[in-house]
Amino acid sequence: MATHDIFMPALSSTMTEGKIVEWLKQPGEKVNRGDSVLVVESDKADMDVESFHDGYLAAVLMPAGSSAPVGETIGLIVENEEEIAAAQAKAPSSPAPSVAAIAEPSNTETKDIANDHANEVVPSQVSPPSINPVEATNVPATLNDGRVVASPRAKKLASQMGVDLATVRGSGPHGRVQAEDVQRAKGQPISVPWIAESDRPAVIQESQPSSKNGSLHRVKSDESLIGKSFGKPGETTSFNTLQQAVNRSMEASLDVPCFRVGYKICTDKLDLLYKEVKPQGVTMTALLAKAVGRTLARHPQVNATYSNSGISYPSQVNVAIAVAMEDGGLITPVLKNADTTDLFGLSQQWSDLVKRARNKQLQPDEYSTGTFTLSNLGMFGVDRFDAILPPGTGAILAVAAAQPTVVAGQDGSIAVKRQMQVNLTADHRVIYGADGAAFLRDLADLIETKPESLMT
Amino acid sequence: MDKQFHSITPAPVHNGKIVNSSHLAKPFKTFIFEPTDLVPIEQSWDWQQEWQKMLLADPLGPQALWLLQHENCYTLGQGANESNLLFDLENPPAKIYRINRGGEVTQHLPGQLVAYLVLDLKRYQTDLDWYLRQLEETLIDVLKLLDLVGERIEGLTGLWIEGKKVASIGIGGRRWITQHGLALNINCDLSGFSQIVPCGIRGKEVARLDYWIPGLKVSDVQPLIRRSFVERFDLNLTC
Repeated sequence: MATHDIFMPALSSTMTEGKIVEWLKQPGEKVNRGDSVLVVESDKADMDVESFHDGYLAAVLMPAGSSAPVGETIGLIVENEEEIAAAQAKAPSSPAPSVAAIAEPSNTETKDIANDHANEVVPSQVSPPSINPVEATNVPATLNDGRVVASPRAKKLASQMGVDLATVRGSGPHGRVQAEDVQRAKGQPISVPWIAESDRPAVIQESQPSSKNGSLHRVKSDESLIGKSFGKPGETTSFNTLQQAVNRSMEASLDVPCFRVGYKICTDKLDLLYKEVKPQGVTMTALLAKAVGRTLARHPQVNATYSNSGISYPSQVNVAIAVAMEDGGLITPVLKNADTTDLFGLSQQWSDLVKRARNKQLQPDEYSTGTFTLSNLGMFGVDRFDAILPPGTGAILAVAAAQPTVVAGQDGSIAVKRQMQVNLTADHRVIYGADGAAFLRDLADLIETKPESLMT
Repeated sequence: MDKQFHSITPAPVHNGKIVNSSHLAKPFKTFIFEPTDLVPIEQSWDWQQEWQKMLLADPLGPQALWLLQHENCYTLGQGANESNLLFDLENPPAKIYRINRGGEVTQHLPGQLVAYLVLDLKRYQTDLDWYLRQLEETLIDVLKLLDLVGERIEGLTGLWIEGKKVASIGIGGRRWITQHGLALNINCDLSGFSQIVPCGIRGKEVARLDYWIPGLKVSDVQPLIRRSFVERFDLNLTC
């Protein structure tokens, strides 16, 4: 039996709770995917909330006129008519998860919810009927004013994993407990990085049919499985095609004499610019790719690559960006002509590339023609890392998180600035230390002093 | 597109010309309609419903903006409280409509410029609070062009001048595609507002712009609001 929760959607980044104006469907009524089920109000805005399952509205947990915290389960949808009674029986009789347990949605999370369901307003997911949403919110309060401040997902995970939220240290805004904190508390590895804007695993087409000993062991995506794992404990899982390809590349890179050089870049101006252009659909990925592309155009040596006949200078500046794949391996979709394409175009291209990667539609020239690679783990808050050079290119830039840092100026003044560490890995046969360093200096100069020039 | 518009709206209404200019990228492609006659609520509501339906079916479809004036009537949001209507419900002074927007009761009538927007917020920010604030910013832009200073009051969506309410805002949406918008009082008769509690806010005065700029007419403000919308929402008017 599958029960689908209807959650109170986040209609804005500042919304903590929403009012249910009206249930457009009544318990027991048939619901088709895409039907509006209820109307939610926040300030002067009403939004229809749709079902994205075919089935029956089994239970209304919060009546019209009441308010519920964002992320709260407010109704249940079941697939078959026979399941209605069972779902109703399991539903909490009093619709009263304390409003005191409101989690303050962070900007990012709200965005994730919206992105996850670009076409559907309400986040909803399969949830085993044994998980009672009310239990999850009744975890003992721990924080200063006695409220549980945890994301809905963190609460859910905590109840699934048997973690007492009271023991978890929150890393979110105002000490809010995030899903990752629960995982960390349980000693579970955090899921593999996923590029900032892409919210969903892309699945890449196998470049060749899997042979009998190379068969894939894909682990079904399951809410209760937290860390990344491609097999079960005790077994050995063969590499999938993409993983094999990555293995070959990484081993080949051992033959390349690499060196690394790092730089700290202040991002305050870039962040401001980003805020300004974000409403127009420009992504941070596009901004970084463009900054790198522009700088590469002025440093052709760093865009060059080793070949048997000498140093090969590509005719284009194509910035590849590493993206981890949900079912193993990684792929590097390419933003072609990143130096000359406008930000809007780059943003569109990137979302298109990620979408098509998801739909298994990437052509080889869309992930193999990079002349330079970006790898970004900033969204995990890492302060620095270094990357392995992909064969066929001369350099890769590892980008860490921008973090507020106390910075001393030349004149002895002290200021707090947002700083990110970048680390260039380069093939010394083509790129020398001075080349790499000059490239980083110019990249830093562009980002720190004139990011607005990226708009032109 | 214009043809399709007419086919879904067999209306006894002249549509103003569609403004053309070109410089911006495709995702914000938008049609602007400026009917010259007074528009009944049912009509403009139909237009928006149809346009929203079309955008739901075609995620890359064009957006729409209407700038118009209504016949005298009252509208209530879906969750509106009828106790804010101070007249006899059996015998109302004008027609009453309950429509699919947020917010309490307000009045529409000639001399008030109404803007309805069917925008896909996925092309901007999927954030209704952001959108409400942008509508307020648009109004502030318009007032600035008139040398007036528009104010916001925290927690009271709408626009104010010297503590008096000059514009109301109320929106609805489905899958981040908006409906409804704002109403700006320019030289309308305000006596009808005394028969309601506008937007459910007691103790705040309602005002119109010609109080500050005598002789101001809707036709003076309409080009300014059109321009402000185009700039703030990057509306691309290319056909």
